[in-house]
Formats: sequence, C-alpha cells, structure tokens
Amino acid sequence: MSDAEKIDSEERVSRRSILRSATGTVSGGLLMYILFGMLGRGKNFLKPPGAAEDEVFNSLCIRCGKCAKSCPYDAVKIADIDEGTAIGTPYIIAREIPCYLCEDFPCISSCPTNALDHTVILREQVKMGTAIVTDRESCLSLNGIRCEVCYRVCPLIDKAITLETYRNPRTGRHAIFEPVVHRDQCVGCGQCEYKCVLDRPAIKVLPTKVIAGKVGKHYIFGWK
Amino acid sequence: MKLSRRKFLKASAAAAAMTAAGVSVIDPLGLSEASAAGGIKWTKAPCRFCGTGCGIMVGVKNGKIIATKGDPHAPVNRGLNCIKGYFLAKILYGKDRLTKPLIRNNGRMLEASWDEALDLIASKYKTTLDKYGPTSIGMFGSGQWTIWEGYAASKFVKAGMRSNNLDPNARFCMASAVGAFMRTFGKDEPMGCYDDLEYADTFFTWGANMAEMHPILYSRLTDRKLKFTHVKHVDMGTQITRTSSTADIMILFKPQTDLAIANAMANILIKEGYVNEDFVSKHVTFKRGLHNLPYGREINGRNDGGATFKDKAKGVSYEEYKKFVSIYTPAYASKLSNVPADKIVEIARLFGDPKRKTVSYWTMGMNQHTRGVWINHLVYNLHLLTGKISEPGNGPFSLTGQPSACGTAREVGTFAHKLPRGVVMNPKHRAFAEKIWKLPPGTINPKPGYHSVEMARAFDRGDLKCLWVMCNNYFQALPNVTRYRKGAQKEGRFLVVSDPYPTRSTELADVVLPTAMWVEKEGAYGNAERRTQFWEQAVEPPGESKSDLWQIVEVARRMGYGHLFDYDLSRYDGKIEKALFEEYRNFGRGFGKDLAPFDVYHKVRGLRWPVIDGKETLWRYKEGYDPYVKAGEEYNFYGNKKKTGGRANIWLCPYEPAPEEPDSQYPLWLCTGRVLEHWHSGTMTQRVPELHRAVPEAFVSIHPEDASSLGIKNGSRVRVSTRRGEIIVRAEIEGRNKPQKGLVFVPWFDEDLTRMVNNLTLDVYDPISKQADFKKCACKVEKV
Repeated sequence: MSDAEKIDSEERVSRRSILRSATGTVSGGLLMYILFGMLGRGKNFLKPPGAAEDEVFNSLCIRCGKCAKSCPYDAVKIADIDEGTAIGTPYIIAREIPCYLCEDFPCISSCPTNALDHTVILREQVKMGTAIVTDRESCLSLNGIRCEVCYRVCPLIDKAITLETYRNPRTGRHAIFEPVVHRDQCVGCGQCEYKCVLDRPAIKVLPTKVIAGKVGKHYIFGWK
Repeated sequence: MKLSRRKFLKASAAAAAMTAAGVSVIDPLGLSEASAAGGIKWTKAPCRFCGTGCGIMVGVKNGKIIATKGDPHAPVNRGLNCIKGYFLAKILYGKDRLTKPLIRNNGRMLEASWDEALDLIASKYKTTLDKYGPTSIGMFGSGQWTIWEGYAASKFVKAGMRSNNLDPNARFCMASAVGAFMRTFGKDEPMGCYDDLEYADTFFTWGANMAEMHPILYSRLTDRKLKFTHVKHVDMGTQITRTSSTADIMILFKPQTDLAIANAMANILIKEGYVNEDFVSKHVTFKRGLHNLPYGREINGRNDGGATFKDKAKGVSYEEYKKFVSIYTPAYASKLSNVPADKIVEIARLFGDPKRKTVSYWTMGMNQHTRGVWINHLVYNLHLLTGKISEPGNGPFSLTGQPSACGTAREVGTFAHKLPRGVVMNPKHRAFAEKIWKLPPGTINPKPGYHSVEMARAFDRGDLKCLWVMCNNYFQALPNVTRYRKGAQKEGRFLVVSDPYPTRSTELADVVLPTAMWVEKEGAYGNAERRTQFWEQAVEPPGESKSDLWQIVEVARRMGYGHLFDYDLSRYDGKIEKALFEEYRNFGRGFGKDLAPFDVYHKVRGLRWPVIDGKETLWRYKEGYDPYVKAGEEYNFYGNKKKTGGRANIWLCPYEPAPEEPDSQYPLWLCTGRVLEHWHSGTMTQRVPELHRAVPEAFVSIHPEDASSLGIKNGSRVRVSTRRGEIIVRAEIEGRNKPQKGLVFVPWFDEDLTRMVNNLTLDVYDPISKQADFKKCACKVEKV
C-alpha cells in the first residue's frame, strides 16, 4: 500500500469510527457540531462564497439549500447525516467541483438570511479559504517541470497566485517557476486544487485560520 | 536485461569510437543498469509534442509503457518536461483508440480487414488516377510523421503516382519561415541552435508565446535572465501573454503592423549608425520583389491570384534600400501600430547595441500572416544589418510547433513543390531525385501540386477526388473549416484518414485506418535546432494498428509501385526504416545537409546537421563553426553560392494591410492559438483526463473595457461570430492571455463543433508561402 493509499484508508477508518461512537452515545447537537465541525475541517470542506466565520454563519444559515439549488456548476452541496457537518449545511469540496466565482453570485443572491453576505458583490471580496502548496516535494513546478497549471487557471492570476522564478541548480540552465499564493488576495475558490494535475493535489484550499500564522502584537515588521 | 561480456565490449567499442568522433554518447551501461531495476526496460525517444525535442526515457514492462521520465542527460531539457511531456505515458492509452480499419457503408462505419481497406484505397486511387490524372488524387501529411514516413510518402506520391499533390500540415505552421529562409539564405532552417539561449544578451520574441508553446526553451531563457541582470527581453505581440512576464519592454502592436515596426527599426539602425557596414558590404545584397500582393482570396469562385503567385525579384542598391525604409519613421510606424514612437526607437537601439548579442525567436504570430514571408525577411534584415547572425547568441531563430516540422516536412520536403533536395520545377533537381530513386528520366511531374488551403478548395470543387489525410487533423485545422467539411462530404469524394483516435477528420472519412503512434513504431524526428533524434519501437501498437509507413508502402505495392520500396533488407538489419533513411541521406550529403548513418543516431542523443566526420554543426555559415565555410571567408551563406556568391539577401518589404480588418459590423480582431496544456487539435492531450480537467474547453480572452462595453462578465457565455460562422464560448477577462483592446483570443484545441474556432477563421494566405493567417480576421462578440 502506498503512502497515499494509507492516508486515504486511515482517513476513512477514523471518520467512520468517530461517527459510530458519536451517534451511539450522544445525540446532543453541540457535541455533534464540534465533532463534525472538526472533521469537516479535516476533510477540507469549504463554505459557499460570502459565508461568514463559522459561528456567525451557523447562526444565520437556516439550511434551506437554496444556495445549492442556484449553483450553475453544482459545486455547492448540502450536508447529509454522514457528511461531517450539520445536516443541511452547504459546503464545497474543491477537488470535486470548485467554485467558479460567477460574476453575479447566484448562491449569495438566493440566500434568504444573509448567511451568505449580500454585500459581497465582487469576487475579490470572497474569502472561502486560502490555497497553500501543501506538498513542495511532489509539486511538479517546484521540481522544474513546466506545469504551473494552478497559476494559469487561477481566476485571480498574477494576484492570488504569482510565479516566483529562480535558477534550477541541478540543470544549471533552466529556471524553476514556483507558484506562490498570496493570502490577502486568494479567495479560496479551489480552482487550483481541482485542476492540480497530480493524482493527489499538491495545492489545497484550507480554512484560512487553519493555515495562517500570527505574529505577536508586540512586534511590527519595520518595513510595513 | 543483463549485458553479456561480448555485448558490453561491443557497446564500449562503439562508445569509444563515438567519443573519438566528438559525439556525446548514451552510456549503454547506464541504460542497462536502469533496466535491471524493477524489470523495466528503458529506451530513449524525443517527446511526441512540440518542436523543442526534449529527450524522454520510456519505461516498458509487460509490453506497456508504465512510466516515462525526462532524460537527465538530454542536452535540450536535462531531465525536465512540460506538463504535456509529464503525461506522455498516457497519450497512447486513451479508451477510444482505433484498433481496426473502418470502411463507410451506407453512411455507417463498419469494421473491415486490412486487405479490404487497402485494396479499396488502392483501387479508388488507381481508377481515379487513370481517369482524371495526377491532379485528381492527393495526400495531406504531417510534421509529426517520422522522417521515413515523410520520405516514403514523397516517394509514393511523386515517384509513384507522379503527382505533386502532397502537402503537410507544416504548411499551416512554418511555411513562411521556410519561404523567407530560402529567399534570404538559399537554405532553410535556423543557422543557430538552442545554445544561443545561454549566450544572448537581448531576446526578442516576435508573435511567440514561448512560455506556453515552448516551455522548456522559455525556462532556459528565464534562467539566462536570472543569471545575468543585464540580459533583456523584448516581447512583441498583439496580446500580453505568459511570455510577457519576463519582458523588460512589451510592444503591444495593432495586428499586421509588425511590418511597419520592423522597417522602422531598420530605419533607426541606419540613421543612428548601428549598421555593421563591414558585414553588410561583404556578405549582404539587396533585393526587391513585387508589392501589392494578392491574398489567396476566392471571389465568386475565382482565386485572386494568390494560388499561383510567383514573385519577381530584382537586385537593388544599398542606397535604394535606405531610401525605401526611410519612409518608416518612428512616427509613421507609431501611427500605424499604436506603439509609442520612443518605444520603437528604444528597442531598435537595444537591438543594434554592438556590445549586446541578440536572438530573435518567433512562432505563429509571424508565420501565420498573409505577409508572413515579408515579416520573416524584415526580422532577418535587422540581424543582417547589424551582422548579428551565425554566432553564439546572435541570430534569427524560428521555433517550430511540431516535433518534426523540420526533420520531416522541411528537410524531406513533403510539400507540393518540393523534393528531398530542391524543387519539382527545377529539371536538375528532378533529375537528381530520379537518379537516387532509380526512375526513368522525366518521371517526376514538374508542376507543383495543391498546397494546403487550395487542396481543400480543390476537394470542395471536386477537382481533387481522392484525399488521404495522415497524422494530422485537417478537418479541424483548416481555416474556414465549415466550408471544407461540407466539401469533403460531397458526392464523389473519397477521403481516407489515418489516425490513432477518432477525430473531426476521421468522422468524415470513407476509410479510417488505425495508426501506431510514437514509440509503437521505429521513429526519427528533427527538432527546431536541426537535431535529428531516433527512437526504437518500445511497445506493440494496440489491436491491428499499423504505422503510417506500413500503410503507405502497402497501398503503394497494391497500386503497382512496390519497386519503390523493394530493398534488400538483409543489408539493413531487416529494417525498411534503415533502408529508407540510408537512401534519403544521399539527398543531403555534400549539400549542407549531411546526416550521420542510421546506426549512429540510435547511440546518441541527437545530432545537429550538417554532421561532418561525425561532428555536428552548432552555427552555420560562419567560419570556425561550419565546416562548409572555408578559412578566410568569415561568413558564407553558401545556399546562395550560385546566385550571389554566398551573400544573404536583405529584402525590401513594405507594410500592407490585412485582408480583413475590423469594421462596424465585425468590430474586433480575432486571434487564435494554443494553451500550454493542450497540443494542437487536442487529439492526444484531450484524452488525458488531468489535462482535460485543467482546460476543458475553449474560451475567449477579451479586454476588460471591451467586455464591459458589451455587458460581458467573466465566465459569461458569449457568441463569437465572423462572416464565416459562429461559436459559443465562455469569456475570460484578465486571465492567462490579456489581449489589447479591440482584439479577442480563442485557442483552437477544442473539437466541440460549437466551440471550434476554425469555424470562424479566414481562409486566405501568404501568396509566397501559401501559409494561412489564423491570427487575424474581423469578428463580433455578443452576450448569449
């Protein structure tokens, strides 16, 4: 069994066993929510564009499913009992169908409660998560292969993802084109993760708070 | 695979001999060591895709390619690949590979035996030939043919059927570069090589999105820029592409006005004293051909003269040339092109700077141009005026899009007017070919055949009745393709298509032949830097698929031309490929295109011709680099030996407008091209699921201001239409391509009929090269 297959199977086993123990003992919504919320993060689920932070979103979302119905790409799905989040919650799995950042955001305009923020009208205002090259070892571009698919398919090409070039020390005559994600520009649509040509993507979109570090308040970069 | 002691000694001896001859050799031991690991047999091959010619190692186990890797010792790519090359192992294994011959029967394609299919083709061709003569049959071939496939096709059509109706898809690709190289230097193909990338101080890219179309070469250009901060890149084009990202200066010009800009640059070089007068006086002559040329348009069924156009050249003086370019002031060129005059001056000075070495790279932006030969000339003019040519880091270099556009189409000469050496119109060239091909004198037809667009028109009209399309996707690749697709389906047309996969061309065919591809056969390609690269068959083709070579020879035999391919194979290790190649070598030997013996190429990672005494030639025409140039000559453009005593020609070529420009009805320019993920018509790459997922369909790139005035948003479905047809695609604003205002761009890989951009393109061409212009016509974009 390859490493990748091992990871897959571990994920499946652990999720199933937790699900079983959770439903077998407690049916309290809060615990379910915490457990599934954690799992949801583990499974890299994204919320539709315009979704606020989890707490706010969960209080506003009435699980009506209108955002999913309005999505022309069927990217927005509705959580079932075993989806790892509260039933009826909309989510997106980028590797299956990512968000295409429609200019008119039918998901947002269909939301009756502002759980998907109606003030979001530009794609730059969206923040579903942040892309990150999670595996520098397998990323083709970082190995000098002229791939950079994530960069070219990024709807915010040259803003959310740029290419940093440096010399390839092995060949001595080629450049490496590294895709670099800029957290302040990336809206987390997941096109890069979806279109990464590897068998398992080397770039993924994760909730920003999962990947973001935080500099101590006591220090400020002198040049900023 | 273990290497026996005897084999090892043999291999070492061969290696020693090759090293002594100054040739880098693949270590046979290295190969077998790798082979021992995991029971995988590794063989070498050039990549199946573009003209860069990256070296690939192909790993085979149990008769199947299980992996490929970039060859770390290959000089072109040193182990790297682009994203298409990464998926080479998958292109053979699409689910819908054709595995049996198919014959149309009452509109349905039915499986048939090879005998039935080949007999049918042979009898149709034979009866048509007997009844209507050699202009009624034809073949449309490919720059993706192996060298011997192109050579066999040329022999079959020209020596067998005595027709010249043989043209390759390379006509769509680099005919303008060929035309201009021939008219300027008397010999085709660049004088330099990829090593220029490591020597140049200034790079000009002219109508070339090298970052996406020649990814590994662009990687080398980028490395050169990273290594030395003084290195500069000027990108000339009608849209901002990924290639523009390394540009220090971006010249975004109005389509067609490259003609004016290049002339203005020459004018500045002259006015400001950047001309290398010594070089010009010794090695250059000046020529003027006809102006106000036709466009190969059909008006009420009659050609405007482009189809049969022949230029009339006369020698002119240096002073006349100076006077001619003097009207192209920076201000005039700026007015035509919308490029600020000071920018034109700046790039001319950069080009002329005697302390800097300058390379020009170009692709389809210059070649797919109704004045394509002219703009090629105008770029050579700059290199000739400054003497920046034929030495490391200095020279004009046409990049090729197909793996053997040079090796097969250009060198073998699978064109309607060409022979493996020379042209059919020249009695001496015909006699030479007849001698090598052992034909009675007068066999070869002196009249050129139909060239690409005219071939489609003749098939549409019915003058051409039998057409065999091989190794390309003619009925997606043709401009204004809807018209010619209808033509192919008319009564009385007989269409044969050989392909590994079903395509827009196979669907129109009367006979479809399943074809072995890439390493399913023995092969040889020639890349853009004159590097001839061989590979051996690594796997069996699926089902009953056969190579194009086998198909050509079998039909030839059935038509009574078996003698053309009757070799005593015991002298050639039982390989007809070797027999053909050894015969073909006779055409180039001593004429500046010397090739090494067949066996040598299997032991090396390619050699750049002319190969003399086992040594390749990196820079042609310059003393010390090219063995054809004698001591004391400095330079010798020996292709022009008879005509000008070895001088290169500077041509006086004016700006002339495009045949169709935007107007009130169709207000935008339409430009077509490719994306990195897909190759040409997508037959191979669209069958790789990962590449399909990355770029699943064609799109239209549009300037944000044009989009906003048309009410088009990012991702909107829009109708793009021209006088010839329409497509419906999604709009991309500020994506990978950023067209200038007033121009839209659509890639051509998409075979969906509602998104096939050649429904829109204009079927006109350069009257000199006969190459169609896929980069310019007038279109309209509307929100659906």
